[in-house]
Amino acid sequence: MKKIWVFAEYVNCTLDRVALELLTKAKELAAGLSGETEVAAVLLGSRARSACKVLAEYGAEKIYLAESEELGLYNPMLYAPIITNLVKREDPDIFLFGATAIGSELGPTVAAQLKTGVAAHCVDLRINEKEQLVANVPSFGGKILGEILCPDTRPQMASVKPGIFVQGEPEEKEPNIIEEDVRGIKTEGLPLKAITLEKKEIVGVPLEKAEIVFCGGYGLGCKENWEKLEKLATMLGGAAACTRPVVDEGWAPGEHVMVGTSGKSIRPKAYVGFGISGATHHICGMKDSGLIISINKDDKAAVFEVSDAGAAADLNKVLDQLIAKLS
Amino acid sequence: MQFFEFTEDQELLRKAVREFAEAEVAPKAAEWDEKDYCPMELFPMMGELGINGIFTPEEYGGAGMGHVERAICIEEISRYSAGLGIALMTHHLGMSSILDFGTEEQKKKYLPELCAGTKLCGLAVTEPGGGSDFSGQKTTAELVDGQWVLNGRKCFITNHHADVNVITAVTGVDERGRNQLGAFIVEKGTPGFGPGRKENKLGLRGSVTGDVILNEVKIPEGNILGKAGDGGKIGMAAIGEVGRAGMSAICVGILRGCVEEAVKFANERIVYGKPISKLQAVQFEIANIRTEYEAAKMLLYYAAGKKDAKLPATPDFAIAKYYSTEAAVRASKRTMDLMGGYGIINEYPVGRFLRDALASIPSGGTSHIQQLIIAGNTLSAFKA
Amino acid sequence: MALKIVVCIKPVPDPDYYDKVSIDPVTKRITREGIPTIINPVDKNGIEAALKLKAQYGGKVTVLTMAPPNATENLKEALAMGADEAVLLSDRAFGGADTLATSYTLAKGIEKLEEYDIIFCGTESADGATAQVSSQLGEWLGIPHLWNVYNIEAQSEESFKVKTKVENGFMEWEIKLPCLLGVARELNKPRFISAMGIIKAKNKPVTVWGKEDLEAEEERLGLGGSPTKAGAIFTPDLKRKGEMLTGTAEEIAETIIEKLRAAGVNIPTKGEGCSIEGGAQG
Repeated sequence: MKKIWVFAEYVNCTLDRVALELLTKAKELAAGLSGETEVAAVLLGSRARSACKVLAEYGAEKIYLAESEELGLYNPMLYAPIITNLVKREDPDIFLFGATAIGSELGPTVAAQLKTGVAAHCVDLRINEKEQLVANVPSFGGKILGEILCPDTRPQMASVKPGIFVQGEPEEKEPNIIEEDVRGIKTEGLPLKAITLEKKEIVGVPLEKAEIVFCGGYGLGCKENWEKLEKLATMLGGAAACTRPVVDEGWAPGEHVMVGTSGKSIRPKAYVGFGISGATHHICGMKDSGLIISINKDDKAAVFEVSDAGAAADLNKVLDQLIAKLS
Repeated sequence: MQFFEFTEDQELLRKAVREFAEAEVAPKAAEWDEKDYCPMELFPMMGELGINGIFTPEEYGGAGMGHVERAICIEEISRYSAGLGIALMTHHLGMSSILDFGTEEQKKKYLPELCAGTKLCGLAVTEPGGGSDFSGQKTTAELVDGQWVLNGRKCFITNHHADVNVITAVTGVDERGRNQLGAFIVEKGTPGFGPGRKENKLGLRGSVTGDVILNEVKIPEGNILGKAGDGGKIGMAAIGEVGRAGMSAICVGILRGCVEEAVKFANERIVYGKPISKLQAVQFEIANIRTEYEAAKMLLYYAAGKKDAKLPATPDFAIAKYYSTEAAVRASKRTMDLMGGYGIINEYPVGRFLRDALASIPSGGTSHIQQLIIAGNTLSAFKA
Repeated sequence: MALKIVVCIKPVPDPDYYDKVSIDPVTKRITREGIPTIINPVDKNGIEAALKLKAQYGGKVTVLTMAPPNATENLKEALAMGADEAVLLSDRAFGGADTLATSYTLAKGIEKLEEYDIIFCGTESADGATAQVSSQLGEWLGIPHLWNVYNIEAQSEESFKVKTKVENGFMEWEIKLPCLLGVARELNKPRFISAMGIIKAKNKPVTVWGKEDLEAEEERLGLGGSPTKAGAIFTPDLKRKGEMLTGTAEEIAETIIEKLRAAGVNIPTKGEGCSIEGGAQG
């Protein structure tokens, strides 16, 4: 029997939804493999059991659960050996990680322990005629896509950013939990200790879930214009987002609203960009939006080529008009 | 003939200064030009990078490099802001007089702070009566009770707000009745001394240019550079080599700006479905701009290399200065032509390039003055 | 305490030029002609972190890279920033390495340096952006490692307090030396190179080690030691129709609103007497 695994990240009593996106993809990949294939999730944490049901509903036929108070805060020195041992015992063929802050560290760490390969930040996954996992990974800021295979070692690992794959529909199901014995583990004595995890409350609609995103580039020119984007987003129940320079200039509050290869990948129903030049590393994060509209005073801006509609206009005026018309 | 190329260290220096210029100069250059604002806050930063003291020996707080390296620094900064370029080049100009003609004590007193950029240096020679008529100047210096007393007015002085000023003045007449000049160090805050009116310049904005007023300015006897009578030589040495090298480097920076802006525009501007860089007429302009840049660059770095090799380079700097300033005017005009209507829009820097290039011509002697120097040298050097 | 610090850097094609990267239609290779090779930007934050620690506690900073021979140029730059010595791991046998083989080779280079207290890496390289080398290097060396570090506070000679970025927040850690920290760009602002630094760098040693110099298992090096293999490469086609809207700002705003509505975005219709319609839509 073939096995496809998904790492389910459970932090702060919350399951990261990238696990559900990956389970949906895993089911699709399973269909491409001959013979029986099992999709399973690996879940670690303290009091993480409550997340098992939703994992089952999104396609995890088995959930390997390692539950301990010691696992309440993520620590690679605790997490990685548990996962590595599990892999050695069960020998999965494919193992998918969300490329979150935690997954981006844990995936390669486990891979190094197993001496296997990870395709990083995949934008697509498929099974080829040899029944191997083929991952499409971006390089040069998304300008080039390359296929990565892991032909000789198992598992074939891959990491995927949140928002790249679409989350499927849940089916009512009871979880099949395989409990791991982790009573022996302890942080005490490790050279690495996690002290706290602090998260900011997200005000309004999270960027990844917004149906309409108003996005600003360096062309915004000032913090006031960023605030106008936020205002528009609030008015329509959407979210405001930006490119790297807007964060660097301190106009936007931080990287959590940044879209692109080093930020978030989004796929809203509609995306309206203001003062965005169209550098590939941003486009990669928003290209899957349903409708893309761009406003840039420079009629030669590259962004127009990847937009459904564009206007070479003064973004200040267009922003003010939009706010006036929608309020 | 040796193959002409920059050393690895010089290439690394260029990269370092370019990184600084791209981060700290490029984003604000247009604003400095528009507001005619001199970014004094960058001098301490340039001090840390060793740009201020690039050719000053290490014992006085400098980097101990030479004039090729200095030209690299000025070119890279002037690529984005020729205004800051001339403020820096003038800072060097005053420093070179102190370095070349100052006593050990003077060098130790002034150069470290000037290298650090905590103080600004200037050189004041030109007067309302004329710049190139050195000996005709009217500012006087008289030794009274062990103090020099200076009186007069200097004009078109860049960095006229400097902390440390090298100032030429008439100290007397020689046996043939010709004016003898002295060069003096006058510090900011000395009673009777200060900047006068500030000029509203066409280009090189972001550097401060204006009058320097000397009204019964009393300075210690020891503040003379060299001795009475050396002022002409000191002024000529500074302007003739360090000054013209600086102006040439500024214009080489402008020329590179023209090349880069022209290429960017020609590749991005789509007319009739293709970038205008595919059009031969545009390619001819690009070729002309590039050639102007390369020629000016060769002349400048050849002259600077000669100076570093301690060879006489005054005619070479005159040639480099004459060629590169005029070439910068031609090339920025060509870049403007290539850009059509966009060329005159101030969101593009090329209009500023043209103004800066034009304003570079009179500094360190107009093109006509350079031609006279070049002709004078040629008529004697090529005599059959 | 005097700290022995190693900073791993990677020479990469300058990211400012990535829009110019393309695939040669004939050779099917990536063309990066004319694109300068620079120190991977976030690796400079690693160098800066090392120099700051050295300034505070004394010690030595060694920069290390695995790259083709011309990378000495990039190492010189790191030395001009203030690092004390540089090591280049260069051998044909190292070529074609994925992150596992790269981190293995770097680990062997570091082990040859004998002692170390802290190793810095950038979070990710600009070109490949796998963000895997730092964690995997930590594993090969068998030392605690953290990735995405944006704050470092030295506590004692033995342990550091460190913050890592996570989505919408941060984690705080205590990590014992020796350790490896993968640093994020928010950690600091890398210094510019100074002319004085360039002159000092002249006398700093750059050592080159090949396969023979490292105590490495041959089958873990380079392409052969890489579990991942590259398949086809292609450029994504992201073109859309790019219909240009014209008219006044007001007209443009109106068209945008219409298009948003057509795309299924919930847009409340404006007040005045349209409450029924507005209610239906909102």
